[in-house]
Amino acid sequence: MIIESFNHKMAAHCESGSLTALLQHKGLEITEPMIFGLGSGLYFGYLSRTPNLSFPMFILRTKPGKLRKKLAKRTDIKFVTQRFKDQDKAEQETDRLISEGIPVACQVDFYYMDYIPQWERVHANIHFITIVGKEGDEYIVSDSYFPKLARIHKDNLRKARFAGGYLAPKGFMYYIESVPERIDYKKLVPVALKNTVNNMIGVQPPFIGVRGIRTFAKKLQGWPKLTRDIDHLSHEVMKINVFLEDQGTGGGGFRYLYATFLRQASEALGNKDLVEMSKKMMEIGDGWRKISYFAAKIGKYRDLGPEKLEELGDLINKMADVEEVFYKELKIVSNNI
Amino acid sequence: MKEKDAYIDYEPQQLIMYVEKEDGSYGPIQTGSYISKNYLDDFWDKMMKLRNSLLEKLKKNEITPIYFYKLIHDFNDVELSRRTGIPVFKVKRHQKLKSFKTIKLSEMQKYAYAFDIPVSNLLQAIVIEGNEDKVDSDIMQQPILVKQTRTENPYLVITKIELNKK
Repeated sequence: MIIESFNHKMAAHCESGSLTALLQHKGLEITEPMIFGLGSGLYFGYLSRTPNLSFPMFILRTKPGKLRKKLAKRTDIKFVTQRFKDQDKAEQETDRLISEGIPVACQVDFYYMDYIPQWERVHANIHFITIVGKEGDEYIVSDSYFPKLARIHKDNLRKARFAGGYLAPKGFMYYIESVPERIDYKKLVPVALKNTVNNMIGVQPPFIGVRGIRTFAKKLQGWPKLTRDIDHLSHEVMKINVFLEDQGTGGGGFRYLYATFLRQASEALGNKDLVEMSKKMMEIGDGWRKISYFAAKIGKYRDLGPEKLEELGDLINKMADVEEVFYKELKIVSNNI
Repeated sequence: MKEKDAYIDYEPQQLIMYVEKEDGSYGPIQTGSYISKNYLDDFWDKMMKLRNSLLEKLKKNEITPIYFYKLIHDFNDVELSRRTGIPVFKVKRHQKLKSFKTIKLSEMQKYAYAFDIPVSNLLQAIVIEGNEDKVDSDIMQQPILVKQTRTENPYLVITKIELNKK
């Protein structure tokens, strides 16, 4: 069976996309940028000492699951969440919910989503899909990164839901119990903005927020020492483009998505200052996109000498400066709402 | 980003991008992946080079199959340990040539599960002559296909060599 009332749409990001789809299915009119912004999803972190990572990486949004938790805390949306030790029980519970017409979001290892092109699939236990049906041994899946509903064999889904490793899903799934009639944007937007400002320029460790961006620019210069050969270095530098554009960011490292949130928030509150901030954030997104193109180009041509990495580092440092000014302004704007 | 600058014509990998539209509003568009359109050949080239160089070392008995698959899947020792449930010190040991032969069959099974391969593939490399440098998507276009099907016996896989009927 398939839950016919579920409307599959692609989305910029898997977590905000699945949340939006589930909320819309439940009758709440809300957009993906609003979910992302109200959940204070924008972030920056340079991770070099996480024991599970084979190479340093940077993140551009908050930890998986935080969006949902913050929304639950800030709004009257009620989520039902479950984790499982027993794989059979997880499958039975998923089947039960689908048979009752309830779409279920599941955390999975992206690698096992075999409908996605092979070159995209990497081991990452932070992907969210929505299960919207089952036919025989196959589940019908709504994945924000795939243009239409997809199918996945139950054995593959089981592996994906119970993959071990960093941020192991442990069968995690959730669905929505109830939604409020309306969201009080006047109350929520300032709270969400202040949280984001704090994440980016508040008191944070040196690898988080704007300081994290500067750490990234600095540490990047040492990447040649961490790689096996020039191909490996090229691969890691080109992944900067993938992290900024392709891994579900909406482009420009989530900055375009956040700019759209600011624009929608300005319309909801009738606040002109937020219009200006949205324009500035759109320009910041363009700056990150320039970095992603540059990284792809020097990676492809193996033009990875110290001068080029320094040039890349300078571009990243410039973004840190621009973002620092932006969040200081955003703090003032949020205080005046 | 302006809407007109955001469109990339690449059907195999679609994504959503938020842009400034013609009327000045901000919203989503569906477009193709820039990096996949322009640089996918480079990605496959690097992957094949890595795979072939590791296979050569494997053939010369310079590395173990655990190390081979660990690099192919981009795991480090800690991640591999967590995915297999085998302690880190043992994971490190199993990558050494001397200790590889001490791995228990039950541990082999755990590694195979984490690498998403049959247990038997930790002790064999299946190669079709002339296909060594081809990526998996190209292999699907070749006249001969190798299909491996798991059975209820966790240690047995059926390997079928078939003519590609496509």
